[in-house]
Amino acid sequence: MLDFLSIDVGTILFTLINTLILFLGLKHFLFRPVNAVLELRQNTIDKALQDADSANAEAQSRKEEYEQRIAAAKEESAELLRNATRQAQRRADEIVATAKADAAAVMQQNAEELEREKRRAEKELRNEVSSLAVLVAEKVMDREINPDDHARLIDAFIDSVEDAE
Amino acid sequence: MKLPAFLQGSSELTVSGPKIIASFDVFGITIHFTETIVLQWFVIAILLLTARFLTHKLTIHGVSKRQAIAEMLVDAIHNLVADTMGKRWMFMAPYIATIFSFSILGSLISLLGLRSVTSDFSVLATWSAITFVMITATKIRFTGVKGWLKGFLDPVPVMLPINILSEVATPVSMALRHFGNIAGGAVITALLYYGLTGLSHLIGLQFPIFTIGIPAVLSLYFDLFSGFMQAFIFCMLTMVFISNAAPDETDH
Repeated sequence: MLDFLSIDVGTILFTLINTLILFLGLKHFLFRPVNAVLELRQNTIDKALQDADSANAEAQSRKEEYEQRIAAAKEESAELLRNATRQAQRRADEIVATAKADAAAVMQQNAEELEREKRRAEKELRNEVSSLAVLVAEKVMDREINPDDHARLIDAFIDSVEDAE
Repeated sequence: MKLPAFLQGSSELTVSGPKIIASFDVFGITIHFTETIVLQWFVIAILLLTARFLTHKLTIHGVSKRQAIAEMLVDAIHNLVADTMGKRWMFMAPYIATIFSFSILGSLISLLGLRSVTSDFSVLATWSAITFVMITATKIRFTGVKGWLKGFLDPVPVMLPINILSEVATPVSMALRHFGNIAGGAVITALLYYGLTGLSHLIGLQFPIFTIGIPAVLSLYFDLFSGFMQAFIFCMLTMVFISNAAPDETDH
């Protein structure tokens, strides 16, 4: 039995070896596996966070892209609408112009027709008048008429001719 | 009627060192193989089996209770080392865990009626020698052999003997503090059993009735609290002395 307070070379030697064994054992059985799993978990978490970040960024860029597309589509539709309106306006203007031109042509035609009709009527009237004059002259030849009647007839004739003119 | 010797309590007071199981002669030096070493193996076996049990089938998700305990222990040691020494000393964590667990369990086996591993001064001398080597190695690593030797002349060369003394006093005081607390507790416990047995005999009882219960209360302090405190103090001092041996962390 050793003394109560003693320094023993053998005990020191064995304690050194035992401490080393426990150190290596704890390192191997406790620290290495736990550190490995902690690191693995940290990596998993980091990766998940990174994935979330990249997914977020992608969603953001997609959102921007879609917004751009919607804006472009709106612009396009507005452009289309403007074009259509302009075209319709042009078409309407054309139609109105054509209609006006047509109407003017019709009016012109009518006026010419009227003129022709008038001339024809005049011509007819003149013929009628001359034949009437001849008739009247024949009547006058047949019968004795006083000079007053004669003069009146001639005046009336002239008037009528003037009127006809 | 005479009771068997086992039930008569301690009728004599003996305070002794560890039993020698075997002795060898190696190059003229007598190497003793003592009780302490066998108890160390017992403690190591318990610790390593516990570690093996706790770290069985580790997973990332769905952590089991065992794994949670293992992670908690490792985390606690890492935090202790990081807080006391700084992040760059994290490689010390397994060694601190070794000394801490070895010391606690080595002290607590006295609760099983075994002799505390830490009531053998040789054990504490070994551990504090390791600490001393680490302190010196750290000084040499950061300031070189010259810087380490020059450190003994600080602040004036006259201080040389005092510096050497303080350098040596560090491990000696660490070893003696730990040994004294645990061994002293063992002595007081032995005295208490002896005294309580004597008291029982004094009032005419052959069976030492007072030794039931009363020593347990004191055992709470001398075995549980003291064992835990001394392990903690030893580890804290080791960490503080080693990290103080290095220059400030801002250099790295």
